[in-house]
Amino acid sequence: MQASIQRKASADPTADVVFETRELSRHYGSGDTLVKALDQVSLTIAPREFTAIVGPSGSGKSTLLQLMGGLEAPTAGEVYLRGQAISAMSGRDLSDFRRDHIGFIFQAYNLIPVLTAAENCEYIMLLQGVPKAERQARVDSMLNRVGLSGKADRRPAQLSGGQQQRVAVARAMVSQPDIILADEPTANLDSQTGSDLLDMMHELNRREGMTFVFSTHDPMIMERASRLIQLRDGRIESDEVRA
Amino acid sequence: MLLLRLAWRNVLRNRRRTILTLLSMVGGYVIVTLVLSVNYGSYDQMLEQYTRDSIGHVQVTADQYLDRPRLQRTVPVDESLRGQLSQAQGVRMLTPRLESGALAYGEERSLPVEVRGVEPDQEDRLSRLSNRLSAGRYLSAERDGHGQHEALIGARVARQLDLEPGADLVLIAQGADGSLANELYTVVGILGDTEAVESRWVVLPLAAAQDFYVLPDQAHRWIILGDDFQRAERLAAAVRSSLAGDANWADNALQVSPWQVVAREFYETMQADQQGGMIASYILIFLVCIGVLNTILMSVMERTGEFGVLKAIGTPPHRLFGMIVLETLVLATLACGLGFLLAWPINLWLTLVGIPMSEPIEVSGLYFSHFRGRMSWDMFAIPTALVWFTALLVALYPATRAARLTPLDAMRRL
Repeated sequence: MQASIQRKASADPTADVVFETRELSRHYGSGDTLVKALDQVSLTIAPREFTAIVGPSGSGKSTLLQLMGGLEAPTAGEVYLRGQAISAMSGRDLSDFRRDHIGFIFQAYNLIPVLTAAENCEYIMLLQGVPKAERQARVDSMLNRVGLSGKADRRPAQLSGGQQQRVAVARAMVSQPDIILADEPTANLDSQTGSDLLDMMHELNRREGMTFVFSTHDPMIMERASRLIQLRDGRIESDEVRA
Repeated sequence: MLLLRLAWRNVLRNRRRTILTLLSMVGGYVIVTLVLSVNYGSYDQMLEQYTRDSIGHVQVTADQYLDRPRLQRTVPVDESLRGQLSQAQGVRMLTPRLESGALAYGEERSLPVEVRGVEPDQEDRLSRLSNRLSAGRYLSAERDGHGQHEALIGARVARQLDLEPGADLVLIAQGADGSLANELYTVVGILGDTEAVESRWVVLPLAAAQDFYVLPDQAHRWIILGDDFQRAERLAAAVRSSLAGDANWADNALQVSPWQVVAREFYETMQADQQGGMIASYILIFLVCIGVLNTILMSVMERTGEFGVLKAIGTPPHRLFGMIVLETLVLATLACGLGFLLAWPINLWLTLVGIPMSEPIEVSGLYFSHFRGRMSWDMFAIPTALVWFTALLVALYPATRAARLTPLDAMRRL
């Protein structure tokens, strides 16, 4: 199984690999209390993939997403994004790298409550040093694409859960990252809202070629995923690429 | 701009807490402003009186006279120099003074005294000497009916030598030429009381003092008064410029000194005392700081999860640090603005009207009847700088704490 998963792994960055993990492990505790949250996981993610990482609770899917996003350091192994080793970075380099290359969507939306929908999207571009006029244009365009053009001036508390998650998608995409990592993005939404949100993300994936990686339990995501990676006990149990 | 907006909205997030913190900061600002103002205002009153009544704003003396006064270290008293000094920009009044010591005799006793030779009318205009008379009348430059010059004496001289207005006073000293000087004067008035600065003075008309010490057309100081004792340095510079063509000035025989140099020890003691008076303000600001620290720290701890998200999406540590500092400075700026609006009219009233005392108090021979403030930019600039600096200081810990958060650990607190 591991061999088949590594079919696209390579040492050099190539145009058809966005993400790569090699022998990635994350262990907690030691001795008798050692927990292998992730154990020697190797995989590659190609551009335009709409990948779902699934598995029971404790299988390691959130840990994998956190390691891929550089939010946590691995115990062993490497994470590469466009050929750059994330696991070797720290401090400001890692912050800058996350800002420029990775978009995050969280289960609880995690928008900045004192900023409007537009400002939440604008914030990350401000960090990138994007000029004001361009920021404005990209925010307008992005909110339009996620169906929130009339709600740009609303703060998160004035939006529904689904709308907040759309803002989160817009925030993740507006910085033009290489990949979007979404951790249980529909878990706090009712099924209809979740389905609409997924349709929107799927559409963005198909139309704009944005690469998505989900960590999820949600069957709706699994149905739409172009690739399904099943984790169990910190190891990849199956990796299914769909037509 | 977005960062400033973010900081502003974060400040307004918990309005009740922000208002309470603001109140303490504004209170601190206002109190520090008023303490400063009354502190400086009191010193202003003291210095205004002291320079006006005693040493003037600027003095022209012979070189080294201030450090080592000697009878022979004199300045000329002539119309040429008087004219040059009068023409200096900012000079309002001036008068020469001759100063030395002598032994004074009454009927039965003698007493060492400080002799001052003055131009009676000019001196009175400048230092209001006649206001300090406690008995008799003010001095005239003319000789009396017996051909004697008149003299004013201090209260201690009057008591020790048992002299009253109308009595004869004998002075003995050494003249500038080494001769023994002795002369008889008629006491016309007594100055102050036995505790006053002038209690050991004997004030003579300048011409009489010049005769006595054999210093024709000489004195020891030109006392110059400008418009404001605080501008003494500028006045001294103007006087120096006006003397540029003077031969004595060219020979470095003259020295122009503002009152801060003339009364250096007094000035330094006063400055030290002023700093001492500020200790209460520093303590107050420290207490306000603890309150502000509490607010900022609470705010940071409450938003730990949010900071985790900000870091996760790429906010570098220094940006997060800057954000917390900016929020604190927004709070401080707001406090300073409100504090200024509140303190300004109170300070204006204190300066113009003041708080009357039930009885005038006496400090080193100077009398005060009101607590008064000082209306100047530094009365507001110092508290502003203090509030800003301390706000910055208290923001450092919470800001560092936020900057050091690891995104994942922080997000677990959401």
